[in-house]
Amino acid sequence: MMEIEITINGRKRRFDVEPNKLLLNLVRDDLHLTGTKYGCGIGECGACTVHLDGEAVLSCMVLAVDADGRTVDTIEGVADVNNLDPVQEAYIEEGAIQCGFCTPGFVMTTKALLAENPDPSEAEIREYLKGNYCRCTGYVNIVRAVQSAARKLGS
Amino acid sequence: MFASDMSLPNMLYGRVLKSAHSHARVKAMDVAGAEAMGAVTLTPDEVPDVVYCPRLVSIPEATYRDWRVLTDKPRYVGEPIGAVAAESEEEAQRALEAVEVEYEVLGASFDALDAMRPEAEAIHERIYLEDDLLDVESNVGCALDITEGDPKALEDADVVIERTYRTNRRYHNQLEPKSVLVRPEPDGGVSIWSTTQTIHNTRLLIHDIYGIPVGKIRVYKVALGGSFGSSIHVNPVVNIAVGLALKSGRPVKMSYTREEDIRDHCSYQMIFKLKLGANRDGKLAGGRLEAYLDIGAHQIQAYPLLGCVVGWWVSLYKLPYVEYTGKAVYTNKVPSCAFRGYGNPQITWVVETMMDELAGELGVDPLDFRLNNYIGEGDLFWGQGPSVKSIIRSCGVEEILTKGAEMVDWYNRPKAGAQTGRFRRGWGVGRGYHTSSAGAPVPSSIVDFGGAMLKMNEDGTFDYVSALMDHGCGTQDAHVKIVAEELCVPVEKVNIIKADTGTTIYDVCTHASRGVYSGGGAALKVAGKVKTQIREFAGRILDAYPHAVRIRYDEEGDRTVVYAEGIEGREVTYREVAETARHKNWGTVSALESYRQPSCPPHFTGYFIEVEVDTWTGKVKPLRVVAGADIGTVINPLLAAGQVHGGMAQGWSMSLLEDTPYDPETGDLVNGGSIANYKVPTSNDLLDLDDFTVFFADTYEPTGPFGAKGLGEGALNPVAGTVANAIQDALGVRFFELPITPIKVLEALREKEG
Repeated sequence: MMEIEITINGRKRRFDVEPNKLLLNLVRDDLHLTGTKYGCGIGECGACTVHLDGEAVLSCMVLAVDADGRTVDTIEGVADVNNLDPVQEAYIEEGAIQCGFCTPGFVMTTKALLAENPDPSEAEIREYLKGNYCRCTGYVNIVRAVQSAARKLGS
Repeated sequence: MFASDMSLPNMLYGRVLKSAHSHARVKAMDVAGAEAMGAVTLTPDEVPDVVYCPRLVSIPEATYRDWRVLTDKPRYVGEPIGAVAAESEEEAQRALEAVEVEYEVLGASFDALDAMRPEAEAIHERIYLEDDLLDVESNVGCALDITEGDPKALEDADVVIERTYRTNRRYHNQLEPKSVLVRPEPDGGVSIWSTTQTIHNTRLLIHDIYGIPVGKIRVYKVALGGSFGSSIHVNPVVNIAVGLALKSGRPVKMSYTREEDIRDHCSYQMIFKLKLGANRDGKLAGGRLEAYLDIGAHQIQAYPLLGCVVGWWVSLYKLPYVEYTGKAVYTNKVPSCAFRGYGNPQITWVVETMMDELAGELGVDPLDFRLNNYIGEGDLFWGQGPSVKSIIRSCGVEEILTKGAEMVDWYNRPKAGAQTGRFRRGWGVGRGYHTSSAGAPVPSSIVDFGGAMLKMNEDGTFDYVSALMDHGCGTQDAHVKIVAEELCVPVEKVNIIKADTGTTIYDVCTHASRGVYSGGGAALKVAGKVKTQIREFAGRILDAYPHAVRIRYDEEGDRTVVYAEGIEGREVTYREVAETARHKNWGTVSALESYRQPSCPPHFTGYFIEVEVDTWTGKVKPLRVVAGADIGTVINPLLAAGQVHGGMAQGWSMSLLEDTPYDPETGDLVNGGSIANYKVPTSNDLLDLDDFTVFFADTYEPTGPFGAKGLGEGALNPVAGTVANAIQDALGVRFFELPITPIKVLEALREKEG
């Protein structure tokens, strides 16, 4: 077992973990933050996207021990109970959520994109989101939601 | 909260032991090693000796049964032959690896036509239909033949084309892998949270297998992370987890990995031999269809599907003569199940491809040829098979095709076929439809009814309870809108109540694009009953006639008011009605109703697609799409358009990318179960926003709630045919096998151009 310390959604937490434990499993099973999803386990679908020190990463491809001393933000941390994040609002308003299983990953990737590039072109949005997989929407309303979120955050 | 997100105190994690062979007999299974590690194990001889069908949508006379919870004769790589449960997923996996299995390996077939040869090994020797034990001949699980009309019509046709087609075997790749949590209850029952499109049929199947009284089985609605038909049947993992929970006496959670999920379900691969004839007057003369359905190792809904394949075929265009012979064939592959469109995308690809070929032979425009032959308003419709017939009452085909043609300037499109450069462009047109539900004026072999409960709360708001599952199509949203519209309240005043089998009445399943049409029909029925009661109570309060009072929403006061028009002071709010009913002991304003739709109106769709083919790489790119849909009244425009966007994306990859071929040497999937080798489009592979237009026809379905029909499946059905026609237009080459991969494009070009 290895002792690690991670700041999760703004709070410092300490864990004893096996060296082979995935960040995904730490988040879902130990912290019960089930907004982060398992979709494939091999870094193909993006459903497990979280932020590691502000950067979007696939938590199924990161060992928990590699997050030691760092900051992890999950979908549960992006908004408080009463107020949604503008990105979440945009996804709802644009009809970008169908089954919703991929949505947390998309929201986390979108937030990372807009932090890097507040006014992305459609091509830049599509390129940035290409690691997040959606089987329902055909991505049309998702791209619109990202554009709308960019406008919300820019205004 | 999705099933895969659920957990309970003291729960065990289950893992399934899967066959390593595509066809074998398990001669011995030693679980001592796993038990020594503290795991609970489950073997084939420990589960009830019940042969079942996991899909309970059809009546027993149409339901062939060949499944067991765990089998000692696995028929595909990955078939469950045992299971373990332990304190963690990792411990369960280690215990699983400690189970020793001795197999006797049997011969296997990986192609439907191969499996029918006399020398092929029998995959099933006997299967059940009701109480009868049937012998299986030539690995044909079931068959259906239908002939209608005068064969001379086809024999005398001016032009006849006959072709053989083969579709792909697609994996749903729904984002949430199949998952379940089961809790054994002190009364001998079980509570279940699972990936399902039907909580009530899940309960019935667990009752059939384990003999637990129906009322002691509680199946809870949870969010479903996509499904596309893959949970119309009860997923095998559910039945296994119940066995583990009953044996261990503890809650058991089982979630498939993606690699397990891709070996759990897939679409039906179909081989068609189609002959269509037409006359110089531009009318179809008749057709003959031979269909071989590769159903994999077990039947889920093969027999009803045989009916639907002919139904989808004959309900597209008017055919004076129809001859159909369909066979559902076992192979040693993952069992096939419904996948958005239920055979309709497959047969529509074939028909729409051949319609273009016939139009070419006749020298007419393919769009005009379609307009001259389609089945529309006033015509008999039996898309859902020969036992489900009704008359079409709304049809937007002409509007879709003519408006779409105007938008893309169809008749002035560039003349294709003569291009010689690296990049070649082509336009395709295709149309289709899907049923909305399986309703009909008389009972059929398919169960199709639902139900809902609605009550008025003491503050004048409403609670809506329904068993109908929503898997991302906005179904429950639509129900709320329907209820709110009928009761003159904003949607915020209607709550959707979390429910389960114990608190809802029966609904068959969310499938067949029936969520809005059938489920919404039930919502409207209970809303209507509640409205009548509100009128009665308000009438008493106001000393007015119930049928004469009017209802309006007062936006300023955010309240709904019942009033006697023109009579001053005679008005009362919903809240006051509910309060008065309570204080005067009149009871709760409420309604609980089952509802059966009188028909299954087709929702129609049409696509115009422009593609560009790179003749150096064989890659095909979408350039422009115009899609029209007739779904009656559009209840949720944003999500309705989203259904078309998603249908286009799935249809695009059905045309070009998706397949799950097998390696006959290993008996396993060529991709080894990895979705890294199962190609589907990303956000970067599809159309720019400006190049994709969706529009809705102006129609009203008289039998639908506020005129609405379904959409989910029709949005997909014509895409593959349209894409194939566009590629033909670009290259002058027609493809008869899906998917149309770059390699196939390059090979065809080499053959044509050297």
